[in-house]
Amino acid sequence: MRLVLKRLAAVPVVLLVLSTMVFAAIRLLPGSPATGLAAGGASGTATAADITANTEKINAALGLDKSLLSQYWSFLSDIVHLDLGSSFYGGNDIAGLLGDTLPATIELTVAAMLIAVLIGMLTGILAALRRGTWIDTATRTIGTVSFSLPWFALGVLGIVVFGVWLRWLPVIGRLPNALDYHPLTNFVLIDAILQDRPELIWPWLQHLILPATTLALSMAGFITRIVRASVLEVLGDDFVRTARMKGLSPGAILRRHVLRNSSLPIVTVLGLQFGSLLGGSVITETVFSYPGVGNLLVNGILQRDYPIVQGAALAIALLFTLVNVAVDLLYLALDPRLRKA
Amino acid sequence: MSSEVLLEIRGLTVEFDVPAGRLPAVAGVDLSLRSGEILALVGESGSGKSALSMSLVGLNRGPRAHIGGEVVFGGRDLVAADENELRSVRGKDIAVVFQDALAALNPTQRVGDQVAEMIRTHRKVPKRQARDRAVELLGEVGIANPAQAARAYPHQLSGGMRQRVMIAIGLANDPAVLIADEPTTALDVTIQSQVLRLLKRLQADHGTAIVLITHDLGVVAEVADRVAVMYAGRIVESGTRDEVLFHPQHPYTMGLLSSVPRVDGPPVARLPAIAGSPLTGVARPPGCAFAPRCAFAHPTCGDAIPPLTQRYGGPAHLDRCVLDRSREALEVTP
Repeated sequence: MRLVLKRLAAVPVVLLVLSTMVFAAIRLLPGSPATGLAAGGASGTATAADITANTEKINAALGLDKSLLSQYWSFLSDIVHLDLGSSFYGGNDIAGLLGDTLPATIELTVAAMLIAVLIGMLTGILAALRRGTWIDTATRTIGTVSFSLPWFALGVLGIVVFGVWLRWLPVIGRLPNALDYHPLTNFVLIDAILQDRPELIWPWLQHLILPATTLALSMAGFITRIVRASVLEVLGDDFVRTARMKGLSPGAILRRHVLRNSSLPIVTVLGLQFGSLLGGSVITETVFSYPGVGNLLVNGILQRDYPIVQGAALAIALLFTLVNVAVDLLYLALDPRLRKA
Repeated sequence: MSSEVLLEIRGLTVEFDVPAGRLPAVAGVDLSLRSGEILALVGESGSGKSALSMSLVGLNRGPRAHIGGEVVFGGRDLVAADENELRSVRGKDIAVVFQDALAALNPTQRVGDQVAEMIRTHRKVPKRQARDRAVELLGEVGIANPAQAARAYPHQLSGGMRQRVMIAIGLANDPAVLIADEPTTALDVTIQSQVLRLLKRLQADHGTAIVLITHDLGVVAEVADRVAVMYAGRIVESGTRDEVLFHPQHPYTMGLLSSVPRVDGPPVARLPAIAGSPLTGVARPPGCAFAPRCAFAHPTCGDAIPPLTQRYGGPAHLDRCVLDRSREALEVTP
């Protein structure tokens, strides 16, 4: 329990450090939001003098004319007051934008995680049990290949094969535009249940499967290797011999003794890998025009929309930190030796 | 002591593929276990005593193990039996109490459940009933608060308690044979003797035959009925406890006994040790495996492996040596 409290106490510190880094990094990028806005607003007929004048006006309006330190200070005090600000373009409330996009990203990453764990566990266990055979070699080779393929390549490949050639799956967005969806929680599955609209589920799954699988495959390859190593190690443990001595069947030994004990390193890896999954979701969401936080973040960076970048980065960091607290909790549940009386 | 033979080992060989070739861990053992007796299997590490006992129930089967010979139990040969057949014997008719109970118990399962699992593997009883029986068994092996201990995880118990849990698991289905593989090596001396007395009492109560694997002659003296001494994969001497401990015939047994400190003997600065080290490699000499280390060896010892025969002591006191015991020079005080 203390372990978890410690981790939770670290969350604000992590967020502070991270928001400072994001604040600095986005301002180090060449170009500023004002130049973009000023040129765009003049619809091509603006002279250089107009643009300069506009830029100054816009900078003043956005507060970008103040010193970096005072900008940083007001950014921090806004966060403490749970005010993430509003977009430079269109003035949308950042909290509202995150409320729209974060559930989509959570759906995507959780689905990817489930697919990756399913594939990774099955193949990893199989490889461990058939150690040294062609099945082991094949599984590990495929795992290494999928682990090495970049997300954008997999995503484009998926779009070409399943979207363009086979025409089995939609390749853009989260739900068909024509579908009448009034978000409540913005989690489609939960809304489908709350609003009693089961017809939402199938199109949602159709849109989710390709980006989620794209994201999952590289992680699955990694999990395969960890599961294989971990299961092999536990299979050599003395208590597995005790289980055999009891006369248990190989299946019962695997279920009751091997899996639980080999799950600890696997869970650790899942928590850490969730970070790279979030990173991958930024790319995958862009490839699939999937309306998640990653997509929001990329557009924010391209437009130098500082509040959006800051808000999206904070949301992703918070998600990652919370997942790792959950991993710690799972740890305690799985290994009684870690629970202190 | 009843003389009914329960388990008969004939020509048992166990070989493992190792990088250097085939390692003969057990090189032809004939041995019988009678019902209700405690048979001690004595030898140094690498003498083959563990390999021998694990192969009785096929626990060392694997792609790198080659097991030959026969282990006849209940009218069938366990060496030839397939895994399904063996599974019905393991834990039910023949159970094992392993050394180092901390490693041998599942760290993520409550000990009561580990005992109950042994019961439910072989008997169709409801979970509840198996749990209750597990608590009973934990009490029977001398755990003070069995209901509470049953809910504990192995790391929450002391070393002695864990070994008792291991014994409770071994006895859960009232097996005919219990193999106790160095059950006391991980324990301190007072706990050691408690656990030994427990084994002895349980053996008397249940009539279980026990194969006690040990390198500790003190343990042998305390509980064994019969003793078989192993060296380099073969039995070099066997007989009743008193025959082997007090009238050893084989130079190796004599060496083992003289390296044990004695309270009643004259004080010595240094305990005698057997020179050299045991054979653990792939290559074996053609003759007596102990000859290179034997203080009494003569040239003919290297010619052939001496048979295990009755020579001097009682009718069941066998040893594997060619030395003429009538020569004065060999009289070694144990």
